[in-house]
Amino acid sequence: MSHAVEIRDLHYRAGKNFEIRELGLRVPTGSLYGFLGPNGSGKTTTIRLMLGLLRPLRGTITVLGASVPRDIPRILARTGYVPEQPHLYTSLTVDEALRFHAVFYPTWDGTWANELVGHFQLDRGRRLSQLSKGEMGKLEMLLALAQRPELLVLDEPTDGLDPVVRRDVLAALLDYVSQQNATVFISSHLVHELERICDWVGVMDRGRLVAELPMQSFKNGIKRLRVANPPALPGDTPFVVLAREAGNGASETWTVRGWQAPMSQYFEGVGASLREVIDLDLEEGFVELLRTFREPRS
Amino acid sequence: MFRMILFTQWKWSRLTLLPLVVAAFALPLLSVQGAGNPQTTPWEARQLLNALQSWGVGYPVLATMIALFMAMTAWSADHRGRHVYALSLPIPRWHYALQRFGAGALLLGAVVIALWLGALFAAGTASIPAGLHAYPTALAVRFALALFLAYAVFFAITAGTTRTAGYVLAIIGGIIVVQVLLEAAGVHVSLIPFIGDRLILWPGPLEIFSGRWMLIDV
Repeated sequence: MSHAVEIRDLHYRAGKNFEIRELGLRVPTGSLYGFLGPNGSGKTTTIRLMLGLLRPLRGTITVLGASVPRDIPRILARTGYVPEQPHLYTSLTVDEALRFHAVFYPTWDGTWANELVGHFQLDRGRRLSQLSKGEMGKLEMLLALAQRPELLVLDEPTDGLDPVVRRDVLAALLDYVSQQNATVFISSHLVHELERICDWVGVMDRGRLVAELPMQSFKNGIKRLRVANPPALPGDTPFVVLAREAGNGASETWTVRGWQAPMSQYFEGVGASLREVIDLDLEEGFVELLRTFREPRS
Repeated sequence: MFRMILFTQWKWSRLTLLPLVVAAFALPLLSVQGAGNPQTTPWEARQLLNALQSWGVGYPVLATMIALFMAMTAWSADHRGRHVYALSLPIPRWHYALQRFGAGALLLGAVVIALWLGALFAAGTASIPAGLHAYPTALAVRFALALFLAYAVFFAITAGTTRTAGYVLAIIGGIIVVQVLLEAAGVHVSLIPFIGDRLILWPGPLEIFSGRWMLIDV
């Protein structure tokens, strides 16, 4: 499997209170990679390191087969980037911003850019400083897409947008990906949004990558189990017990990771019985994963 | 690419730049207001030179003001966006900075041309006393050199982060504090004039700002 982004042993420090340690991350080519993490976990910093906006203390970063920071202009020419905060020159009009952006990208698709301006209902003569947050979000996405990039790096692209604009922006993104087979690296703390569109997920917390796996494995691997007559100590379980909560009477609810159906035999072996297996959605799984990471259990 | 960078620089600076171009054109004209009679006595000619010398202070001041303004406008939009846009464009950073510098320098050319035309017009219309000569081109060249030097210095400072600007201010502040402490301790060392002289007197890097800025001279 080839990788559009590959990060190895990355270290970065910003001040005394924040650092990224031993970060390793691999984004399969053609995947829609959701980069999850709570606020302040290091998602934006990782993206900035990936795009050469920051210099790491050590580690290697390869994007689209080229090395960061050595080949950064070549990488950026093939990468569409939507940052967390709007970064465009706000004194320009929409039309001027399009013309300014276009001259830097040899693959710029002017025809499609014009179509998207119409589709997003953006007023070409309007200054960027007068655009609403939603309009600015659409313009940022438009500029990234009209470059016809091989890799799209989107840092919280829909954060703060209303549901209608969010839907428009994501629809345009998915439309592009389905046509171009581009790789998308999308960071967000809106878990449900990523659950719908991503096929890979990486979870970041406190400057470290907590998990990286296919979305399906992530969703299926974390379960909540209702257990009757549970043992006082779980012992050697074939799965990872993330949490135990007392229920009614002699029952407990266990949150586990790495669950597979044949593992139910474990409960018979310890004199307990498994009453129910409950699927967790991504958000619940995400929360449980972070809880384990922050308070490791034996 | 350069055309679009030039366009943005023009858009950001035009409203202030246009009055400054007018000022650059007007300054030489205003400086020769006293030169009305070619039959002036040597004493009156000397008075004219004194008046021109007084106006001459305006040239380096104008050059510094324009350079500072142009350098600030070159980077203010990038500062607002924390340079993320410029850094995410697919060109080397030095290339972008060079183009930004070039765009500002090209617009400054308009100011130099305005001053040169103003100086030519002033020299052509003023009655110059015998023994004195007009140097419109030399004045314009000197103004251009001072303008581009000041622009380069301010461009370098404003291109940096707030921290860089802080370091520059801290150095200046440190020198002032040392001078005050030396004075308080009864040590009479003129630190600030010493540094000032090293900067603005030959062969100091800012020497071009000092001396006589004369449109008409002997």
